[in-house]
Amino acid sequence: MGHGEKSHRPSKKHKSSAKESIPVEDYEAYVGGEELDDDVRGDGEVKKRDFTKLELKPDHMNRPLWACADGRIFLETFSALYKQAYDFLIAIAEPVCRPESMHEYNLTPHSLYAAVSVGLETQTIISVLDKLSKTKLPKEMIDFIHGSTANYGKVKLVLKKNRYYVESPFPEVLKKLLRDDVISKSRIIPEGANGNGGFTISKTLGEIAADSSGLLNEAELAAAAEEKETHAFEIDPSQVEKVKERCLPNALNYPMLEEYDFRNDTVNPDLDMELKPQAQPRPYQEKSLSKMFGNGRARSGIIVLPCGAGKSLVGVSAASRIKKSCLCLATNAVSVDQWAFQFKLWSTIRDEHICRFTSDSKERFRGNAGVVVTTYNMVAFGGKRSEESEKIIEEIRNREWGLLLMDEVHVVPAQMFRKVIAITKSHCKLGLTATLVREDERITDLNFLIGPKLYEANWLDLVKGGFIANVQCAEVWCPMTKEFFAEYLKKENSKKKQALYVMNPNKFRACEFLIRFHEQQRGDKIIVFADNLFALTEYAMKLRKPMIYGATSHVERTKILEAFKTSRDVNTVFLSKVGDNSIDIPEANVIIQISSHAGSRRQEAQRLGRILRAKGKLRDRMAGGKEEYNAFFYSLVSTDTQEMYYSTKRQQFLIDQGYSFKVITSLPPPDSGADLSYHRLDEQLHLLTKVLTAGDDAVGLEQLDEDVDDIALHKSRRFSGSMSAMSGANGMVYMEYSTGKNKNGKGQMKSKPKDPAKRHHLFKKRFA
Amino acid sequence: MPQVRIIAKNFMDMVAALPAMKLDKLYDNSFICEAILRSLPPLAKKYVLQMLCVELPVNSKSMEEWVLPDGASKHRVAIDRLVQLRIFTETKKKGDVTYTLNPIFQTNLKKLLVYGVVLPREPMPSSVTVRRPSSEELEAFALEQWECFLLQLINSSQTERPSNISSSMMKTFQRGLVTQRDREAPRLTESGFQFLLMDTNAQLWYIIREYITSSEERGIDSADLISFLLELSFHVTGEAYNINTLTEVQKNTIKDFTDLGLVKLQQGRKESWFIPTRLATNLSVSLTDTSSRKQGFVVVETNFRLYAYSSSKLHCEILRLFARIEYQLPNLIVGAITKESLYGAFDNCITAEQIISFLQQNAHPRVAERIPSVPENVTDQIRLWETDLNRVEMTTAYYYDEFPSRDLFDGAVDYARSYNGLLWEAPDDSKKMRLVVRAENHGHMREYLSGQK
Repeated sequence: MGHGEKSHRPSKKHKSSAKESIPVEDYEAYVGGEELDDDVRGDGEVKKRDFTKLELKPDHMNRPLWACADGRIFLETFSALYKQAYDFLIAIAEPVCRPESMHEYNLTPHSLYAAVSVGLETQTIISVLDKLSKTKLPKEMIDFIHGSTANYGKVKLVLKKNRYYVESPFPEVLKKLLRDDVISKSRIIPEGANGNGGFTISKTLGEIAADSSGLLNEAELAAAAEEKETHAFEIDPSQVEKVKERCLPNALNYPMLEEYDFRNDTVNPDLDMELKPQAQPRPYQEKSLSKMFGNGRARSGIIVLPCGAGKSLVGVSAASRIKKSCLCLATNAVSVDQWAFQFKLWSTIRDEHICRFTSDSKERFRGNAGVVVTTYNMVAFGGKRSEESEKIIEEIRNREWGLLLMDEVHVVPAQMFRKVIAITKSHCKLGLTATLVREDERITDLNFLIGPKLYEANWLDLVKGGFIANVQCAEVWCPMTKEFFAEYLKKENSKKKQALYVMNPNKFRACEFLIRFHEQQRGDKIIVFADNLFALTEYAMKLRKPMIYGATSHVERTKILEAFKTSRDVNTVFLSKVGDNSIDIPEANVIIQISSHAGSRRQEAQRLGRILRAKGKLRDRMAGGKEEYNAFFYSLVSTDTQEMYYSTKRQQFLIDQGYSFKVITSLPPPDSGADLSYHRLDEQLHLLTKVLTAGDDAVGLEQLDEDVDDIALHKSRRFSGSMSAMSGANGMVYMEYSTGKNKNGKGQMKSKPKDPAKRHHLFKKRFA
Repeated sequence: MPQVRIIAKNFMDMVAALPAMKLDKLYDNSFICEAILRSLPPLAKKYVLQMLCVELPVNSKSMEEWVLPDGASKHRVAIDRLVQLRIFTETKKKGDVTYTLNPIFQTNLKKLLVYGVVLPREPMPSSVTVRRPSSEELEAFALEQWECFLLQLINSSQTERPSNISSSMMKTFQRGLVTQRDREAPRLTESGFQFLLMDTNAQLWYIIREYITSSEERGIDSADLISFLLELSFHVTGEAYNINTLTEVQKNTIKDFTDLGLVKLQQGRKESWFIPTRLATNLSVSLTDTSSRKQGFVVVETNFRLYAYSSSKLHCEILRLFARIEYQLPNLIVGAITKESLYGAFDNCITAEQIISFLQQNAHPRVAERIPSVPENVTDQIRLWETDLNRVEMTTAYYYDEFPSRDLFDGAVDYARSYNGLLWEAPDDSKKMRLVVRAENHGHMREYLSGQK
């Protein structure tokens, strides 16, 4: 466990799986985050990093961090300078893990790009880092910072009157950029321009005072206000993100800053909206906003806050600061409704200025500025639209947006972003997410599609501050029953492996026990997650609980969620992976995960996020004093199966955020046997038969389109399921008991002697 | 391979275990007498002083009257100890037990009281201008030497310079702590790991004890060695003493002691000097008072990361036994406890409990007050991984095959089942008739089978 599972295995799997070109979802599952982690080298040998020769400063005790030549930084959280150091590090480096006492960060070109784009200068970065470091800074690190940031901040991408310009005070830099094929092709040469070198020249004010968010005194920058001449050339709007990509550190290395001087924008009409007085951003929300609006302009980028920490307030606040038209993109219709609600809740925006644009509601705002909430799909949809939506989309296309607000950016595939960004023209893009991890490399795409990461909150600090729930995480080990394990090991059941370990009767019983315990003893609201549709239906039917999966209609969904929120009788709901993101169920405070998507760290974090908001229930407050843990996350795993391996991988992200998983080995408790389901062997065997006779496709994963998850929800789409499952005749299969046996030779009935007299005495009872 | 029990025994236990002849010879040396006196339990000390001028045997009965009834057990312990060390001679006559003080011991102690302690050598006079190390330097030297020795002991590749200690002597020290299978790298045994987890004084004592017991093999009288060590412990830390005052044997021994960090050698212009370190002067101190408890240095996080505030190579080596070391910084070692690294440790017979208690005992003050000092999920997981390895249960059993007929086989299967002794039978479709039955049912089975023939 721990950081430990960085064995060579995952990367091997990666290679082989790439050859077989398995679907993207599986790809994501197999490739661990390891590739991103440089701990393992090609030969699987752990790199020895001996930096003992670094010179300790005499007063190292008072300084909070160590910096290694390879970019790794260790930060003591108990240092007096922790808060300042944290704010600084989160701006310049990627957090690797942030448990209680010691944080680890990595300095990467991208993280430095982010640092530069929030206004930090190379010299500031180095001098502050040196000030905080216990040792003299390794020369390699100083060189690295110099090397990575030398070119940063020299080029800007500006949107003027609906046209994109690449702007720089240094014409030679622009010339250098234009030598690149991609960029020169994207250039639009204005009519009547005199030759190649003809840049548009204009004058802009230099940065007045870049507030570097109160680091150390030394870090405070003061750039004198002076007039600078800037040179610019125009580029094709459809090529914008390609140009941006070419400029990234791994290519031309002139990352472009995108800033929007919204206060001086007189071209676009203002939108009359303010935050309501009762909307008080919390300190970390304030901080993330200050990173975005650090120098009085709006920067594009991504803000990472845990689920339930109030991302929507950050989004609404950003929109009300810019006070221009805002396009808000969510992942599904339910979430569109929620966003529209949040806008009305937190800001003074008038009803006629906000509208939703989904397949069900095609509203249009009145006036010349407003907020449109829609889904990625609606914007990116390539097919034929109705006349009405065609009109709306045309309006979206033609408008110059002040802010493009994007929710849950981690789930949206890059392709979708490309389309969306090509269609909509915005001065500033703000991406919101809870988990900036993906098992593939696509997270770096976000860097040029949206912008650098502006802020990332520390989960543990938020828990300590009482802003999000304190969750007790537990991994429940359910031993496989003998019969299920025997089938699990058989080659011919390779496709049913997942179904077998998910349907493991011991797991079912543990789940049933936990539901009972939390419903009856604590009066909690429970979400049960299962990726496996077969298991989802089996569990939900057997336990008589409502369930939501891909095919559940919007109306039914809303109905079930409403009942779950309000009814005293509906305390448990079963969700397939459609519930992973953006379905807001603030009432729930217990999650039981019975099956999951292989090794996806993101899914685990997202699911945990469903209960992070659930804090301070009324009852707890009345009892006086908060309970230590007011939310529970159980992950049920069948021991000795693949699931154990995956489960370890899945938890990595949360573990790195400082969460710990307690292992529970004896659930249900031995004394609570008989009243739970599948107590008797014949019941278990019946279940086994059911699993084995179900079609391979029926027991597999729910197939949602690529990575689109809920984005795809409103399209009609295929999901795997057998005819019998759809007709409700699932499990009612006529089967001769002996067929399986003859076919398999040593079928599941091998332990069952033909002659009752020969039965083992332990089993005699059960068959009687 | 001799089984080594690692007990933090007292130096005096070692002295007491010497044969009578040697012990008597030891008392010729007045230092020894004083050292022994100092090491005695308070009551025994008092008895010796009370008897210092008594030359006649004292009856045990009258002695018992010296203590209150509730001190009887302490009295017993004191007398036992004195007899064991041959300071008291016990004489039994017609059921009467009397005690006399060892005359040599008595005379020497009397002399000591009259003339005071006279070391066989004087510290270096201040007129000689040889640079003496500061106490910090000396301390650092001692610890460095000791660490270096330990690294060599556990056969680490991290050893920087070879020491004077011969490989054969090293082998002696390694006995029981390190095992070496054919052509494999030597590995630490369970007690070896435990050894590393002990505090320096206890470790030093263990090594010294091995050094003394093996001295006869090198042709050195163990009593001589003991008296030299005791003598050494009466020297003043940090003072320099002339090497020429030593005997040839002692001169050789002092070289070994340098490697262990007991003394530091200093070359003067004309003469050589040796400077005892704290390790040497602490030797005779009872090991039980571990007032000098080392400060903890390890922080274990919930994500199985391990941070050790230490610059010691030895710490690094100890951690490497069960964790993967990832970074080494001037005063920090960063590692991770992984399943693989723990399996490696378990392979070396290091137990989960040992690892956990090491982590707990050495918890950094920052986390030591926290309860638990090592996160629960980590300790649980370490234990679970260990139990995971022990899931196979052994049952002794008998295996039967070559049954003459199917009927006999089926009968035997039923019979074994009736005793609840059937562990395994060949599947029905297999032609071979084979059967495994618990060992305790073998008698019944044999009877049954022979009855059937």
